[in-house]
Amino acid sequence: MKMKADVAVIGGGVTGLSIAYNLAKQGIEKVVVLEKRYLGAGSSGRCAGGIREQFSTEPMIKLARKSLDMYEKLSDELNFNILFRQGGYLFLAFNEDDMSEIREHVRLQNSLGVGSRIVTPEEAREIFPELNTDGMVGGAFNRRDGIAFPFPVVWGYARAGERLGVEIRKFTEVRDIIVENGSVKGVVAGEERIDCDFVVNAAGGWSKKIYEMAGLKSFNTPVKHEILATEPLKPFLEPMIVNISAGLYFNQSMRGEIIGGIGTHSEPSTDVSSSFEFVKKFAREIVRLVPKIRGVKVLRQWAGLYDMTPDAQPVLGETEIEGFIQANGFSGHGFMLAPVVGELIAKLIATGKVDPLIRPFGFNRFRDGIEPEHTVVG
Amino acid sequence: MGRLQEHPVVQFRRGKKVTIYFDGKPMEAYEGETVAAALYANGVRIFSRSFKYHRPRGFFCAIGKCSSCMMEVDGIPNVRTCKVYVRDGMQIRSQNSYPDVNNDILGVFDRLDFMFPHGFHYKKFIRPSFLRLFFVNSMRKFTGLGNFPKEEIKERGREETLECDIAIIGAGPAGLSSAIYAGELGADICLMDENPRVGGQLVKQTHRFFGSAEHGAGTRGIKIAENLEKKVREFDNVNISLNTGVFGIYDGTIGAVKDNTLIEIKPKKIIIATGAYERTLIFENNDLPGVYGAGGVQTLMNVYGVKPGDTGLIVGSGNVGLILTYQLLQAGVDVAGIVEAMPVIGGYFVHAAKVRRLGIPIYTSHTIKKAYGSKRVEGAQIVALDDKWQEVPGSERDISCDFICISVGLSPTHELLYQAGAEMRFVPELGGFVPVRNRYMETSREGVYVAGDAAGIEEASTAMIEGRIAGLDSAIKLGYGDKEAEEMRDKFVSDLEEMRRGPFGARILKGLEKVVV
Repeated sequence: MKMKADVAVIGGGVTGLSIAYNLAKQGIEKVVVLEKRYLGAGSSGRCAGGIREQFSTEPMIKLARKSLDMYEKLSDELNFNILFRQGGYLFLAFNEDDMSEIREHVRLQNSLGVGSRIVTPEEAREIFPELNTDGMVGGAFNRRDGIAFPFPVVWGYARAGERLGVEIRKFTEVRDIIVENGSVKGVVAGEERIDCDFVVNAAGGWSKKIYEMAGLKSFNTPVKHEILATEPLKPFLEPMIVNISAGLYFNQSMRGEIIGGIGTHSEPSTDVSSSFEFVKKFAREIVRLVPKIRGVKVLRQWAGLYDMTPDAQPVLGETEIEGFIQANGFSGHGFMLAPVVGELIAKLIATGKVDPLIRPFGFNRFRDGIEPEHTVVG
Repeated sequence: MGRLQEHPVVQFRRGKKVTIYFDGKPMEAYEGETVAAALYANGVRIFSRSFKYHRPRGFFCAIGKCSSCMMEVDGIPNVRTCKVYVRDGMQIRSQNSYPDVNNDILGVFDRLDFMFPHGFHYKKFIRPSFLRLFFVNSMRKFTGLGNFPKEEIKERGREETLECDIAIIGAGPAGLSSAIYAGELGADICLMDENPRVGGQLVKQTHRFFGSAEHGAGTRGIKIAENLEKKVREFDNVNISLNTGVFGIYDGTIGAVKDNTLIEIKPKKIIIATGAYERTLIFENNDLPGVYGAGGVQTLMNVYGVKPGDTGLIVGSGNVGLILTYQLLQAGVDVAGIVEAMPVIGGYFVHAAKVRRLGIPIYTSHTIKKAYGSKRVEGAQIVALDDKWQEVPGSERDISCDFICISVGLSPTHELLYQAGAEMRFVPELGGFVPVRNRYMETSREGVYVAGDAAGIEEASTAMIEGRIAGLDSAIKLGYGDKEAEEMRDKFVSDLEEMRRGPFGARILKGLEKVVV
């Protein structure tokens, strides 16, 4: 069996589906999304749903800011309510080094138009009164950051894409990428060969394998990150709280659960099993920060992958193989960047133009070395 | 009020009288009663409100599996009140209701359900955008169940690490038997149960068991539980940890919580004997307070001596339904009838004959169609079924009752088996998802055993034999026991085969063929 498409997008997560939707919107006729399992089975359906513009490098701040603009209008655009709400992100530092980094980041953010501000421990308590400020040096708050529920974003993009003619194939694993004379000719998906001019690698934690299929050595490494959810409580927490010194983050979901994680593993792995170590570590740190939470029960825990790059920033755009387009290496920020990445990667494929917002994220940068992103949490 | 004073079989030894407060109102209770049982005895019928439509929800399972009895207890939200004992001065508050659980004004959502179909929150209120923001923020206010604690728990959390030869999860007939036989061989055992007492569901079985005398026949379930408990407590090498909820198995390490202590258990072998939970049935108003699991009613009545109501309707004529009917009559509660969807009675003939002799009608080829009532059961409608399981039009009949007991079977409690990494299969003959295992009850995950209803729904007598086999085999594998122990284990395997011969075992054997390797 053989089939012809204009673009094959590998990965039915939020990034791949956003790219597919935007391609169809740009008028590309035959777009096929290839997903190994079900939509959102990778990291999209496993993340906490945080969306922020508080980053530490100029390219990331600009990209994230544009994405946040788009998230504000995304429910209208997709005609699907993604339950986006802007309760802000509160970053907290418990030592001088972390605080001086936060100060530096806020200065840079402010110079680029982000409305973040430095807060004292007392001001942090005004934002979230349950905080224990013992040992807290200070923090930063940006009211405009927010949270969306990841599943409707995935489904919303999928439905909107299908309305415009995108073909989505679930439970279809890509097994090979066909490259001839330095350019992409197609992919082998399941039992079928699909001829196409463009292949987009939006495989998240599995992107490394896709690079290898095309014969490229990638710099990406998947790392397991764990997360948990408590029983649902009446709303008491507005913002996403990040203790940057402990690597802890948590928010309260639309349903009322506390959803959060803490950095526990660093070795490369595509394993997504849950660990006892993580629950214990998370419980200790959140109780230290929010003492009254002791007694609230954990209901579920699970894990997903951060597709890490050497500078903790994504890989976006072309490679030396013509037609092999990258949208991966998000290092834990794929969900929040999906709208802007979808639009700009689609524009690149449709018009050949590299938007200035994605230019800094080229695949070749690792050979030169650039400034790393500092605010990776969880 | 609501408590049984006299009973032909059970003597209720109530503890000291104490006062508990439900939504501020003082109520009489006795030490040794669970909060749920005490509230029920005081006439409380609505225990909670459902998450979305705020429908009244009552008592259902009584063993911590159903979540409809969750309340705030002494400031801690979402406590399963069927799992905690009363204490003098305890403050219990209902949740997710305004002003209180009995008169929840948000119950209006149930009348407006046409406005909130499944998935409505993704498809409605998208435009105009200012309304969407208002909607998202408003909707958030209606989510969640309990409140964030107002005060910090004073007692500090503690952590403990334990090592043992065999960890046994569940101290019912299977788990207790495992502990006794492995303990006898000298293995160092940690026996855990999330309930405040051992015995599992035996503690409510006031009837005499069948089978051979060697396997406890002729003895009442409560007495069997007492005997097993007495025996297991003789061993110094069996550490019994009650009120201990196991929440996870991580690569052979067990995570558990007891009061304020987080326990990490590192065993060499694990026996999962977590029992089963009761199934329910789909019919109109099946969530109305007064629709209970048959086992839940047995717990209420036989363990705590609390009267479930005045007149019950039993759905399902298996042994549980038949025995419960008899137990209700013993306690002075009337039974309006037994409804059975099959054309024949499901349970043993002796039980059915006893119930029939007492004049209780058994409606075979009938099912329950709906429960009447707005805040509690005020009656039921049953309907005849034809040979294709379709309702016979015009055959509806109303039954007067104030509670309904669902005894349509059990499903194995399988969560920990999945977490342990055992290969699972869906086997209808055994009640649901059960692990693949060998004849010594070891699952596909080496060192992880299963016993009792968690291995497939059968009877307490088979659960005990399975427990013995799992206990013996796991201890033998660790180097305990000798040739004699191996012979004993193999004898129990053949005993089990013997017990399953006969008409009732045929279905079980068919199921076992699919999972025993």
